[in-house]
Amino acid sequence: MVEVSRHDVVIVGGGAAGLRAAIAAVEADPQQSVALVSKVYPMRSHTVSAEGGAAAVARDDDSIEMHGYDTVKGSDFLGDQDVIQYFVEQAPKELALLENWGCPWSRNEDGTVATRAFGGMTTKRTWYATDKVGFHMLHTLFQHSMRFDGIVRYDEHFVTKLLVEDGSVRGVAALDIRTGEMKAVLGRSVILATGGAGKVFPFTTNGMIKTGDGMALAYREGVPLKDMEFVQYHPTGLPGTGILITEATRGEGGFVRNADGERFLVTRDYGVGKKAELGPRDMISRAIIGEVNAGRAFDGPYGQYVHLDLTHLGEAAIMSKLPFVRELATTYVGVDPVYEPIPVRPVVHYMMGGVDVDIEGRTVLPGLYAAGEVASVSLNGANRLGSNSLTECLVYGARAGVHATQFAKGSDAGSDDSLRRQAEEEAGRIDALRGASRGDEQLSTVRGDMNAAMEAGCGVYREQESMAKACRDIAEIKPRVDALALKDGSKVFNTEIIAALELSNMLEVAEAVANAAAVRKESRGAHACRDFPTRNDPEFLHHSLVYRGDPEPRIEKKAVTLGTWEPEERKY
Amino acid sequence: MSEEKKTFVVTRFDPDTDDAPRTETYEIPVQADWKVLDALNYIKDEVDPSLSHRWSCRMAVCGSCGMQVNGEPRLTCKTSLSNYGSTVEVAPLANFPVVRDLVVEMEGFMERFKKVKPWIIEAKEQAAIEGTHRQSPAELAEFKQFSMCINCMLCYAACPVTANEPDYLGPAALALGHRYNQDSRDHGARERNEVMRDEGGLFACSFANECSEVCPKNVDPAGAIQQAKLGNVIDWATSFVVPRGGK
Amino acid sequence: MSARARVDAMKSSAAPPTRTADPSPPDHFPGRGNYLSYVAFGATGILMWLAAFQVLRAIRALGAGEEAWNTMLASFRHPSYVVFHAFLFVGLTWFALRFFQVFPKTQPPRMGPFARPSDTFFKVALNGAFVVVTLLIALVLGGAIL
Repeated sequence: MVEVSRHDVVIVGGGAAGLRAAIAAVEADPQQSVALVSKVYPMRSHTVSAEGGAAAVARDDDSIEMHGYDTVKGSDFLGDQDVIQYFVEQAPKELALLENWGCPWSRNEDGTVATRAFGGMTTKRTWYATDKVGFHMLHTLFQHSMRFDGIVRYDEHFVTKLLVEDGSVRGVAALDIRTGEMKAVLGRSVILATGGAGKVFPFTTNGMIKTGDGMALAYREGVPLKDMEFVQYHPTGLPGTGILITEATRGEGGFVRNADGERFLVTRDYGVGKKAELGPRDMISRAIIGEVNAGRAFDGPYGQYVHLDLTHLGEAAIMSKLPFVRELATTYVGVDPVYEPIPVRPVVHYMMGGVDVDIEGRTVLPGLYAAGEVASVSLNGANRLGSNSLTECLVYGARAGVHATQFAKGSDAGSDDSLRRQAEEEAGRIDALRGASRGDEQLSTVRGDMNAAMEAGCGVYREQESMAKACRDIAEIKPRVDALALKDGSKVFNTEIIAALELSNMLEVAEAVANAAAVRKESRGAHACRDFPTRNDPEFLHHSLVYRGDPEPRIEKKAVTLGTWEPEERKY
Repeated sequence: MSEEKKTFVVTRFDPDTDDAPRTETYEIPVQADWKVLDALNYIKDEVDPSLSHRWSCRMAVCGSCGMQVNGEPRLTCKTSLSNYGSTVEVAPLANFPVVRDLVVEMEGFMERFKKVKPWIIEAKEQAAIEGTHRQSPAELAEFKQFSMCINCMLCYAACPVTANEPDYLGPAALALGHRYNQDSRDHGARERNEVMRDEGGLFACSFANECSEVCPKNVDPAGAIQQAKLGNVIDWATSFVVPRGGK
Repeated sequence: MSARARVDAMKSSAAPPTRTADPSPPDHFPGRGNYLSYVAFGATGILMWLAAFQVLRAIRALGAGEEAWNTMLASFRHPSYVVFHAFLFVGLTWFALRFFQVFPKTQPPRMGPFARPSDTFFKVALNGAFVVVTLLIALVLGGAIL
C-alpha cells in the first residue's frame, strides 16, 4: 500500500543546495508545505566534506567584475555569462545571510569576515571557516532549516522515479529505506539537489552517496544532461582513498613538488604562469599527470604521486588555518604535514556538467527544477574555480526555491489516484528486484568494471580511441544490471537494493559522460583530448546536450550565452 | 601486500526474521592500512550483501559510521584495523534501539537535537542587520570548539545517564545548545536555558566524562555541559532581577 | 545503577515504524575506568545521606539536654561508628577530589578581560588548597594549634 502525501514543492536532496532551496521556498510563501526528501539524514550530505571556502567579493581591492571575469576565464569561456553575472552579484549577499544564520566564518582582527586566496582567483575572495567550510555551512543551513514548520523532512527516503503526468512533474516515488515501503510524495513542482556522481570513477574525493541519482532521474524522463564531458579532477587527493586535501593548502602558501623536489609548476611551463600553485584546477591536474608521465613522480602502492609541501608554513599557521588537513594526513596516510610533505595525486572531485537548467533553475520538463552540483546552469562551463560551488549552491538553490514556489502556485496538483498508481507500479518493480537472482552478476564486480572503464576512457587526458572504447564498454555493462544476483530479500533497511538502484543511476551518468566526451574534438577546460590538444572556438564553443536514447544517446548542441567578456586565449 | 586474515564477529538483526540480535562471524583477508569500515565494505561486497550499515564520507566528517568496535564507540572510517588483534567485534551503537544489523534508531536523537533550539535567535527589538555581524577572533573562540560536532552520536553511546534516563537530552544536544548560547550573535540564551535546565536537561548530567573521552572531534561535550550548568544558574538567578525581554 | 540500558533509552516520541531491538548498555559498564569513578561518585551520596541522619540525631540530642548529648558523643567510640566515619572521610575526600576534576570544566574560556587559567594551574591550586585546609583542620582538631 503506497502512502500518499501532498505538498507544494518537493525537494530531492538535503545538502547545501537542497536546504537553501527549502529555506527560500518557505520564506517565499510561509503557507506552503515543502517536502525535503533525502536518502540520508541531511547532515550526512556530501556538502559536509568540502574544506576550502566559499567565494564572494568582500574586499575593497576586489570587484564584481573581477570575480565575474575570473569565473568566465576559469570556465574556459564555456560558462554562460548572464548566469555568472547574477552569481557574482548575489554571492556576497548569500554568504552574509549564512553569517547571520550562525555560520562561524573565520575572522580578521577587526571582526570582519576573513578571506583567503584560491586557485584562479585574482585576489582574496574566498570566505572560510578554518578548513571545514562545507561542514559549517551544512550544519548552519540544517539547523536554521529546523525553525520552519513548513519544511517536512523525509529522511532516508530514496527517490526511484519522478512522477510525471500530463507532461508536468507532479511528485516523486520515494522508497522509505527504513520500512522498505514506497511513498508517493506529491507536489506541484520538484527541485533536484542531489549532487554529483564521483562514484562513477574509482578514485574520487566523493563519498558513497554521490551516485548521480538526480541526473539519472531527469535523464530518464527525457531531460537532457549538459556538458557531461567536463569532469573536474582535483589536483590534490590522497592516493588510495582519494580523500580531499583542500586547495586552501596552496592558498595558504603550500608548494607542489615532484620526486626531484622541484616546484614544477614554477620551473616548467604548464600554462599557470606566475600563479604557480594557485592556477586553476584543470591545469594543475594536467601538470601533475605530466610529471607522472615524464617519470618524475614518486611510486607508491596506490599508483604514482607528487608531494604537497606545507613544512615551511609552520605548526602555528597549520593549526590555525588547516587543522583538518593535518588530521586527515595523519589519520589516513600517516604523515604529519608540519614535518613531512603529503603524498597527493589528481582524483575526480566535481561534475561541471549536469541537468540542463536555465538561469532560474528550470528544466525543459515543466515543474522540474535543479540546483547545485546536479545542475548545469552553466556557471562553471568547462572548469570550475575552487570555492565557487558552495556559493553556487546558495545562489542557485535560493533561486530554484523561489521559482519552484511560483510555479507551484500556478500549477495543477494532478490526480492523487493516478499518481499513486504510478508509485504502486514502482513499488512492484522494486519488490520484484529485492533479493532476486536474475542472473549471476555480482554487484560489486559490475560497479568495478564501470569504474575501470571510466578511469581508462575519461581520465585527466583522453584519447578518441579510449573514449570510444569507454562508450562501448559502458553500453556493454549497462544491461548487466538486469542480470544481478541480489542476495538480500529483507525489507527493513535493505541497503543492497539501494546499491543496485544507485548502480543503475551511475551507469546512466557514465553513458552520458563517455558519449559527450567522445564527440568533443577539442581540448577545453577539464576535457583534455590528446588528439585535439587545442581549443576550437569556431566549431566547439557550445554546450553539449545528451539525451537518453536507444541504443545510443543522442547528442545536440546548445549555445553559450556570451556577454561582457569575449573569449580569448586562456593564459595565466 | 601480505595476505593477513582477521575474524569479524558482527551483530545481525532483521526485525522480520529475528527475535533479537544475533552475531555472525566472517573471516576475511585484510590489508594493513585498512580501517574497520573497509573490512565491513569488503564483507558486504564480497561475502554477505545482506549486511546493512551506514557510512558515506569515509573521512570522519559526516558522522554516519559510528559503531561499537570491541566494546568501544568508534567511527569505523577512522579506526585502524591494526589497533586490533585477530578478532574484531562490531556491534551497533550502545544505548540506541537497533533498527537492523549495525543501523540504530536516530529519531530520538533528532528530537533532542531540535529541543535546544539550535539556531541564532535574534534580539526582539533589533533592526535587521546589514551585511555581517562583527565578531572578533576571541568571540569566535568562545564557541568554536562546540560547533565542531558531527552528530556521530558516539557520546550518547558512551553516556551512562543516556542508558538510564530516557528523557536526557544528551551530550551532543546540550553542547550544541551551549554553542549557540556562547555565540555573540545569538540573543536566545534565556529561552534556551529554560529548556536546558528542564527535566532531562543539563542537571541530569553527573559528569562521567565518557562523552568527551569518545568524541572523535574533541568537542568536549562534558566541558560544554559543565560550563552551561554554571551559566544556566547565573542566568536563572539574574532572571529575577532582569525580567524576560532583556538579553 | 543497573548494568543494562533501559529499554526506552533514546526513544523518540512517536512509535518506531518498524520493530526495533532493545538498546544495549555501554560495554564495560560499570566496571571500567571512568564508569567506575562515576559510580563511586554517585555512591558517596549514600554516605552523605547516612551522615545526614547523624546530624539529625545530634540535633535531637542537643535539644534533649546535656546527658543525652554526652550519651550521643560517647556512642561515637563504638567501632561501627569509627568504621562509618572512616568511610565517610574517604568518601568525602573522593567527592572533593572528583569535584576538583569537574570544576575546571565549568570555567568559560574568558571571564571578563581574563583568559581562563591552564588546567595545571587549577590542579595545583585546588588540590593544594585541599591539602593545606585538611592539614590545618587536623592540627586544630588535634590540639596542636588554637
